[in-house]
Amino acid sequence: MRRSPYDTYLLLLFVGVLAVAPAVLPEFYVTLLNYIGLYSIVALGLVMLTGVGGLTSFGQAAFAGLGAYTSAVLTTVYGVSPWLTLPAGLLITSLVAVSLGLVTLRLSGHFLPLGTIAWGISLYYLFGNIDALGGHTGIAGIPPLQIGEVELRSGRDFFYLIWAVLLGTVLATRNLLDSREGRAIRALKGGSVMAEAMGVDTPRSKIVVFTVAALYAGVSGWLYAHLQRFVNPTPFSLTQGIEYLFMAVVGGVSHVWGAIVGAGLITVLKQSLQDWLPRLLGQSGNFEAIVFGLLMILVLHRARDGVWPMIDRLLPQRVLHGSFSGAEDLPRRPRPQAGSVLLEVHDGSKRFGGLVANDRVSFTVRAGEVMALIGPNGAGKSTMFNGISGVDPLSSGTVSFRGQRVESLPARDIARLGMSRTFQHVRLLPGMTVIENVAIGAHLRGGKGFVAAACRADRSEEARLLKEAARQIERCGLAEQMYESAGSLPLGKQRLVEIARALAADPCLLLLDEPAAGLRFLEKQALAELLRRLRDEGIGILLVEHDMDFVMGLADRVMVMEFGQKLASGLPEEVQRNPLVVEAYLGGVE
Amino acid sequence: MNLQIALLLGQDGVTSGAIYALLALALVLVFAVTRVIFIPQGEFVAFGALTLAGLQADRLPGTIWLLLALGTAIALVEGGAALRQRRYRRIPLILLVNCAAPLLLAGALVAVSPAGLPLPIQVLLALMLVVPLGPMIYRLVYQPVAEVSVLALLIVSVAVHVTLIGLGLFFFGAEGSRTPAFTEVSFEFGEAVLQGQTILVVVASLVLIIALYFFFERTLYGKALRATAMNRTGARLMGISGQLAGMLSFTLAAAIGAFSGILISPITTIYYDSGFLIGLKGFVGAIIGGLASYPVAAAGAVLVGLLESYSSFWASAFKEVIVFTLILPVLLWRSLTTRHPEEG
Amino acid sequence: MGGLLAVLGWALAAGVQADINVGVTLSATGPAASLGIPEKNTIALLPATIAGQKVNYIVLDDASDTTTAVKNARKLIAEDKVDVIIGSTTTPNSLAMIDVVAEAETPMISMAAGAKIIEPMDAKRAWVFKTPQNDAQMATAIVEHMTNNNVRTVAYIGFADAYGEGWWNEFSKIAEVRKIQIVANERFNRGDTSVTGQVLKIIAAKPDAVLIGGAGTPAALPQKSLKEKGYKGIIYQTHGVANADFLRVCGKDCEGTFLPAGPVLVAAQLPDSNPIKKAALEYLGKYEAVHGKGSVSTFGAHAWDATKLLVSAVPEALRKAQPGTPEFRKALRDALEKTRNLTATHGVFNMSPQDHLGFDQRARVMVRIDGGTWKLVQ
Repeated sequence: MRRSPYDTYLLLLFVGVLAVAPAVLPEFYVTLLNYIGLYSIVALGLVMLTGVGGLTSFGQAAFAGLGAYTSAVLTTVYGVSPWLTLPAGLLITSLVAVSLGLVTLRLSGHFLPLGTIAWGISLYYLFGNIDALGGHTGIAGIPPLQIGEVELRSGRDFFYLIWAVLLGTVLATRNLLDSREGRAIRALKGGSVMAEAMGVDTPRSKIVVFTVAALYAGVSGWLYAHLQRFVNPTPFSLTQGIEYLFMAVVGGVSHVWGAIVGAGLITVLKQSLQDWLPRLLGQSGNFEAIVFGLLMILVLHRARDGVWPMIDRLLPQRVLHGSFSGAEDLPRRPRPQAGSVLLEVHDGSKRFGGLVANDRVSFTVRAGEVMALIGPNGAGKSTMFNGISGVDPLSSGTVSFRGQRVESLPARDIARLGMSRTFQHVRLLPGMTVIENVAIGAHLRGGKGFVAAACRADRSEEARLLKEAARQIERCGLAEQMYESAGSLPLGKQRLVEIARALAADPCLLLLDEPAAGLRFLEKQALAELLRRLRDEGIGILLVEHDMDFVMGLADRVMVMEFGQKLASGLPEEVQRNPLVVEAYLGGVE
Repeated sequence: MNLQIALLLGQDGVTSGAIYALLALALVLVFAVTRVIFIPQGEFVAFGALTLAGLQADRLPGTIWLLLALGTAIALVEGGAALRQRRYRRIPLILLVNCAAPLLLAGALVAVSPAGLPLPIQVLLALMLVVPLGPMIYRLVYQPVAEVSVLALLIVSVAVHVTLIGLGLFFFGAEGSRTPAFTEVSFEFGEAVLQGQTILVVVASLVLIIALYFFFERTLYGKALRATAMNRTGARLMGISGQLAGMLSFTLAAAIGAFSGILISPITTIYYDSGFLIGLKGFVGAIIGGLASYPVAAAGAVLVGLLESYSSFWASAFKEVIVFTLILPVLLWRSLTTRHPEEG
Repeated sequence: MGGLLAVLGWALAAGVQADINVGVTLSATGPAASLGIPEKNTIALLPATIAGQKVNYIVLDDASDTTTAVKNARKLIAEDKVDVIIGSTTTPNSLAMIDVVAEAETPMISMAAGAKIIEPMDAKRAWVFKTPQNDAQMATAIVEHMTNNNVRTVAYIGFADAYGEGWWNEFSKIAEVRKIQIVANERFNRGDTSVTGQVLKIIAAKPDAVLIGGAGTPAALPQKSLKEKGYKGIIYQTHGVANADFLRVCGKDCEGTFLPAGPVLVAAQLPDSNPIKKAALEYLGKYEAVHGKGSVSTFGAHAWDATKLLVSAVPEALRKAQPGTPEFRKALRDALEKTRNLTATHGVFNMSPQDHLGFDQRARVMVRIDGGTWKLVQ
């Protein structure tokens, strides 16, 4: 990840400032910092969920409510210790989050935010209408937290707890995002198709990131209940849910620090307006909301990605070079025997409504050969790729991969069997570095999960994954660009990154969709050389390409498609001489 | 529940649903053209109704001040741009549209006593006060950030909503208002009475929806909006400016909102903050339509109205819980049957 | 030199301490704004000096939100060093503030109705007082009126919030004791555009009377719907509707409606022998002079009464300590608790260590809406 070289110092400075803050600040400032801390924890969950994962939620306040209400009821009615209600609250929050997630995360596009609004409102009214939860009036007399004999009653006492929790979540979030599972989460926003093809179980990633964000909110709610020592439904309403999202976006929704900046900015601004507006405009009206809204519009005009990126730009940037040179190599998959059939497509057809994109196409690819698929635009080549790799399954026909029927498997399961691919329209995550993009390809070669990532128990595996990614990048001739952001590369180089990513999966069969497009002559030569080497290693390669010189110089066999049908197939020379092919390509030149 | 009650509830649900449908259409329109999820849509409902109520009570509605302020702000922005580009000839027009016209309206309102005017004129005045706020807000708030992400635009909408709610409280106070019915006609069905105004709401909504259909199908501007909705870049290449399309869609949205408010204010009380919930339910309808399909959005909105009506009979305390929980399966079904452009 | 500085410092400190700081947090925006705004308007009319001491009022809006109310309370205590807090407008907000004021040992006078704010009396609530009648008190008045008018069955429809809930809890309890059968219990939201479902259900249950538990203009919607659907029984409202806007919106549909209210609502109709009349008319005069005739609401009067309590308690507290000190706050609390026979706009306060409201029967009257105005039911 890109970080300022002073990041660690900044963090230390931040901790230092926080440590002395309660001692030097007036009481009310400490109170404000407490609220900022509580809001930040929720907003941090939104950074991960919305900013990084691309899943917009208006319902975080309701999750905070679950944490708060669980503790309120258990402590006031059943006399349970507040420390025991935390795990109980988190358990309930995660149960609700997982079950809501199972339903609503299937919603795509705009249906998801509306889904979160729907259950946000439902939970709010449930809080208000269940007598055991104190109804709309609320539950008073929640006991304060106790550490040993000390009761955390004052804001100053609570301060350290809130900010320790916040720092813990910040570190956990950063660790998580900088890991194998973190890359999978980051791929959810705009890269799920690619991630699935790399073996990422994206529905699972969604549920997990959703639950983690809900748990953050739940912890915040638990803290809130014991700071406030009173709960009622209003702090957990849709309005508050919108406010959390507001904080995250204003602060910078893609950045961990954005959550804290946003929560801080909005809390302090509201407070200052409350102080200053009556002095400027008198007591007659209520101008706070109006001025607040106007100021926020201005902020959003000036800082379109939020406030933190503006601050971040002022800090010197350096890319974090992981130290993975000492790591062991990842184990490799056993190679299939050269010449054995890897892939067999039989009568593969794909229909989009009335349009037949592939019409009963059959072919095979063997280990250790380059099979090229050529044909004019719209011949159905990429459709066939999507059908084979499970990205968009075929309508009928069978696909066998390494002796196993795969035509009805999801892309991630096919990837697990050893098929890897690139995309015609490059699917990289432009904000991530080249090495991070390539490391997604190696997703299935690691196994450490979220918890391990959050507490950095995944480092040795992570080093092995990065080492493998670096090795593939070097093979593709991109060593110089390893730490540049993928989006900054020219298109041709981006195609090479795609190949490196596919190779990082250690495939037996490689599906390359127009890998040479946009490459310069020397680069093409290098690519051809690489592909020959891969072939010699025993990898089967299925290639779609328009550059005939490239194809004919490389391919062992060629299949020509037109209008979704197989036109011809055979050795390159045979195909080139085939009159049907000449007709199709040259359009019947007389 | 007997048949009569079921019918009355159905009629009540359709009435609410008609208003939600209008708002859903406006939301779909604004989103399709500008990618803005227009949360403040509901505020136009409240502003329209309360401005009319203010006129009828012979008060100068606060919306006139907003109109003047926004006009001045636009004149400053556009005038400044014209000065920088040395296009001095444009300045009189800018001043005329943004400053003189609102001032004239304000002058007219002060000069004549609006309470004495016939109802249609009052409605017209209220619309003249509220509808221009739509394009003005677009020009000042959304146009400068037209290219940012949908999420960022949504958050801008939240900020606009907060501002307008604050202004609404300042202009109209915390208490609500009703306006007199357009018609006193009523029909009797057994023991139940069906108010003419209720029928008027449904009929007017239908007429408006049909009018919108013809606008989109038959008129140049309507086609331009549709073209922009389908393909922004393409439309721009064809000479349809995104700015014009944005202003036009916001004008329509504001008009639909204000008109809805005026339609329902005789049958219910409208408050400065009523709009949000009404708009939210329109939004639910719009989403059911995938923020793309007008007929499905309208059907979704009517569905929300009916759900609301029947659940308020069965378990009024849990009305919102029922409505919004039942929305989830509908969303799921819609989500599974709607094909999204990959990674939309 | 040092001595001089010390004297100067003392003089400065004394100068600062001489002011009494009154913190106010109320719901001037958000759902409870129609209650909070008249309260806020009233604060501007409050006396600038009490017992010769200058009084500073620091007014904060809590937007009807408990978190903000608590934040405001903490701010008033920590930043403004207030001697007493008036507020907040709603019951949940006031409940949420109790812990804060009790810990800071600062007396608080709530303007919310819920009895829970001062009951059961405990060490924390020792610091909390309130000026509005308890819901129970008002509910009793309604139930008595129902019993006297042969109402045997009643339906309830109230706000889906703390207000409607508080009324339901008290009313259902008292009605049960008095053998009035409750045949329907419905809820609606302040902003709902239709209550047809609830109203149809109520009518189907054929109650003798309907009680609408709402505040301000939103309470007019169920009533108008009931009339529209042909309901002929008696309709009761609560004291929450007692403002001119309600009459404006409800119009002729509200004729004949009964509601309990503080006597301030019908001050002019009270007999001259009633001491409350003078106190209430004084407030009405001041409020309407600024905000126009008919603008008064009974909610603003709760803020006025809160200051009445202060005016009577502060001289006593001043004898014991200087404003700005913990001793003063303690003394003020003690003095508030000893309030006896203090006539205010809503009633006569007789506080005790167990009762931090201290109202009796005189604090409520039954009112009927008649000819678009409030008429005292004799």
